[in-house]
Amino acid sequence: MGDQENPVAVERLMRLGTEARRRVIQMAARSRSPHVGSCLSCVDILVTLYFDALRIDKCDWEERDLFVLSKAHAAMSLYAILSLKGAMSDEDIRGYFVDGGTLPAHLDRTTSRWIESSAGSLGHGFSIAIGLALAQKLRRTARRVYVLIGDGEAQEGAIWEGAIFAPRLGLDNLTAVMDVNNLQGYGRPTELCAFEPMAEKWRAFGWHAVRVNGHDYTALRGALRQDPKGKPKMIIADTVKGKGVSFMEHELKWHYYIVTEALARQALEELEAKHAR
Amino acid sequence: MRASVARYLLEAARVDERVFLISGDAGYGVLDEFQQTFPDRFLNLGIAEQNTIGLAAGLALSGFKVFVYNIIPFVLYRCYEQVRNDVCYQNLPVTLIGTGSGVAYAPAGMTHYAVEDIGLARTLPGLAVLSPCDPVETRLCMEYAYRNTGPTYVRIAKGREPILHDPAPSSVSEPILVAPGEHIAVLFHGSAGGEVMAAIKELSTSPKVIALPLLQPLNWEKLREMLQGVHCAITVEEHYTEGGLGSIVAERLVASGMSLRLHRLGLPHAFVHDVRHSAGIRRAYGFAAPQIADYIRRIW
Repeated sequence: MGDQENPVAVERLMRLGTEARRRVIQMAARSRSPHVGSCLSCVDILVTLYFDALRIDKCDWEERDLFVLSKAHAAMSLYAILSLKGAMSDEDIRGYFVDGGTLPAHLDRTTSRWIESSAGSLGHGFSIAIGLALAQKLRRTARRVYVLIGDGEAQEGAIWEGAIFAPRLGLDNLTAVMDVNNLQGYGRPTELCAFEPMAEKWRAFGWHAVRVNGHDYTALRGALRQDPKGKPKMIIADTVKGKGVSFMEHELKWHYYIVTEALARQALEELEAKHAR
Repeated sequence: MRASVARYLLEAARVDERVFLISGDAGYGVLDEFQQTFPDRFLNLGIAEQNTIGLAAGLALSGFKVFVYNIIPFVLYRCYEQVRNDVCYQNLPVTLIGTGSGVAYAPAGMTHYAVEDIGLARTLPGLAVLSPCDPVETRLCMEYAYRNTGPTYVRIAKGREPILHDPAPSSVSEPILVAPGEHIAVLFHGSAGGEVMAAIKELSTSPKVIALPLLQPLNWEKLREMLQGVHCAITVEEHYTEGGLGSIVAERLVASGMSLRLHRLGLPHAFVHDVRHSAGIRRAYGFAAPQIADYIRRIW
């Protein structure tokens, strides 16, 4: 059994994932913020990154691994996870997306030192992460750089500019994860463009690409631990938009819909039940 | 101007290992020495402007002082949003060096002219905007960019521009009095400088001549002081008068309540379809040296 299958570690990540989802729902309901579905699809990826893959706790701040949330409309998920990490206070979280508040719906790095880069417009964070990874190579550090992009975001030309240059730069310290929930703002990537075969596209560009279930902690841990020398890594993570809340799952409308108090109660009850199991 | 840029970058890289140069497939014959001397701090990131600026921001976030060299449309137009969000919003020390200001590349065609870049650049808060007129100012602009802790945009023409300043100014951080004079102030930036200086030589009168290499942030207090006593100002630029220095000065004059007649010479707000060399375009649009001289005589 590889360590990625360690049941205690996986169980812990699952609990953290459920708690992060609860916090996302609470944040969204309190602030009447959209993008709940996009946040829920990537919770498990972010949990695995922040509670398993990233070296950020047991090292000097200057030596930490770096994470860029390029699909920054999922900022609520990152905020929820940073609050679970103790890096953001309850007060920070209560100030999300409210008048006179603390945190905007897309990332502003001046709000917290844990936000490595501002982001919000799709296709930007990916190239920034390439720059961060190159800087580590130039300085010969052991720091690794991670970036999360969306499947809709993968339609941006900037992504493919980065895709064709990063392998040439030898950035094997860079891991990109693509959250493939197959629902973007107004349709499905697989219907709007020649989306598949996505992993093969990245392989053809010189990346080490793997495809996993983006809600399977064992699979995510395993994929994140792969260490292909000399190549940047792309993890295509198949996910479910709205994952964890039955009435939000696979629903395009939850890109935009607002979580009413009644719906929040219902969602939280479902998540409590999962937590109890 | 290109040679001044290349020389300055080499000097800066020798003393500061944070200096990193990115080309967007431009700089043949200009950046060769830098590339050979500092192969680890030079990258040609090809014809991919969005990725280039984002990557530059990532390097700058990690402590590098990044210089991006390309023709103006590819450091500012194609990648405007990356410049806005990745570089300026994050207040990063990235310098965009754009070549081919105004119609320097004529008759390459409108796609290769940069006649609205100042208008575009000055929409961005915290972005220093510099438009040197000669190799002397170019060097000073590069020094300004190097010392600036935030983002900078330096627009240059191309190569082999004559030196216009004598004596050399010591800084570009405030308007430069190029020639003392009276009645009329002639304000210019960038490659219009050659036409202005030639026009002044033709005149029997002496207008006050002011170079404004630093357009943002503009030291208006200093400029206002220099404009005291003249009855009118003429801006001359190889740029649309709308959005360029003409607009900058007009806004300041109105807001300050200063009573001064303003004349604006430069390119009209239209696409250029004429197939002419730079000098021919300047002539066609009324800001070649003889026309500037005539204009000054008329309103003297």
